Amino acid sequence: MAQMLVKLNVNGIEREVLVDPDDRLLDVLRDEFGYKSVKEGCGRGDCGLCTVLMDGKPVLSCIIPAFQAKNHKITTLEGLNNDPLMKKIQEQFRAHQAAQCGFCTPAMEIIGWHLLSRKKEASKQEIKEAISGTLCRCTGYYDIIDAIYDAGRPE
Amino acid sequence: MEQPLLNRSEIVVLQPSSLKESLKLLNENPDAEIIANASDLWPRIRNGEVKPKKLLDISGLAGELSYVKKDGNLIKIGALVTVSQLEGESILKEKRFSGFKDVIAKFGSPQIRNVATIGGNVCAASSSEDFIPLLLAFNAKVKLSSVDGERYINLEKFIIGKRKINRRPNEILTEISFEDPGEGYSSAFEKIGRRNTLIINIVNMAVVGKVKDGKIEDVRIAANRIKGKIPERAKNTEEFLKGKALNEETIAGAKKVLSEEVSLTDDFRASAEYRKALLLAMLERLLFKLRGEQ
Repeated sequence: MAQMLVKLNVNGIEREVLVDPDDRLLDVLRDEFGYKSVKEGCGRGDCGLCTVLMDGKPVLSCIIPAFQAKNHKITTLEGLNNDPLMKKIQEQFRAHQAAQCGFCTPAMEIIGWHLLSRKKEASKQEIKEAISGTLCRCTGYYDIIDAIYDAGRPE
Repeated sequence: MEQPLLNRSEIVVLQPSSLKESLKLLNENPDAEIIANASDLWPRIRNGEVKPKKLLDISGLAGELSYVKKDGNLIKIGALVTVSQLEGESILKEKRFSGFKDVIAKFGSPQIRNVATIGGNVCAASSSEDFIPLLLAFNAKVKLSSVDGERYINLEKFIIGKRKINRRPNEILTEISFEDPGEGYSSAFEKIGRRNTLIINIVNMAVVGKVKDGKIEDVRIAANRIKGKIPERAKNTEEFLKGKALNEETIAGAKKVLSEEVSLTDDFRASAEYRKALLLAMLERLLFKLRGEQ
């Protein structure tokens, strides 16, 4: 079988794209839609850097076949750019200097947003559990945890 | 990272939207690999370990196969129930099912729990599949559906080797069920790996049992690599424990039986000797958990 025509809904935009059967959601998001916040780390579901939201839940776009993403709503960091909670999280990431090389930052911010949008004042333990499947190669976890924690507290 | 080029782009993808349609398609294409949300198979297809010509994508059956229900005395779990969905199920929050909570807490990562299905976990039949020991300890059965009808087999007979299952080419695993052991029972699971998240276990173990007035009335134990590379029941240890008082002497005796019953192997994750030490310590901890201690 050659290419498949798949209708995707990414960041509220519906678009039909031609995908190969072996394309990952990650490939389509980066190459077809141009959403470069979605990073490829390990490419096999171990590092969490390709995390996006599928129907509002964090998933790994490197182990989801592109053809399976039809009928689901996909959200990347770009789709949350104007969201007030995401703005707050990003302010706190800056204040805490929580991005070192920055490669895990989009995934960490999306996971932080998902957690805080369900539970505003998440505890540090809950934050640790939420980011437990997402690796920071600079190992700057404390600043990331503090940034998400403070973003959930009143100013 | 560019992956090695294969003929992967020639894979034929079949995407049925009902179970009936899936069974018909599978009957016509018995060489198709079945995927639910693909979290186990996809990386193995991408790295060339598995080279399917056809994929039968059953994720479209989520509406039909994503239930958890109690039917008479049976707990029935649809094959497409995700790990996150299981976490929220009220039936499984009862104390006797607390082993599920233990498995879920250490299963993959939060992102993987949102897609990995219990049916996929069982069918993958790999040492990383932490639901298998727990389901073995619950004496679970699997339901296999095909155009010819349905059949039920014990999970113990379904898992026949590492990544080998007793599934006919035209069958789909559609349900996992087990008898509700009833009040007074409890269950627990432990897993030890090099970290808490995203790690394949060095050893794991599950127990289901009933301790009343300090006596072990019933117990079922399952762990990885009891006699080989797959999760199995530790039946000699179970027999030894049944009817005995749960005290230090019994536990010491059970450890002896278990250490004779297992045949562990070395691999890159751990030595057989270390595995054995961990398993024996786990047995003790899990038995105390049955008694309600942490």
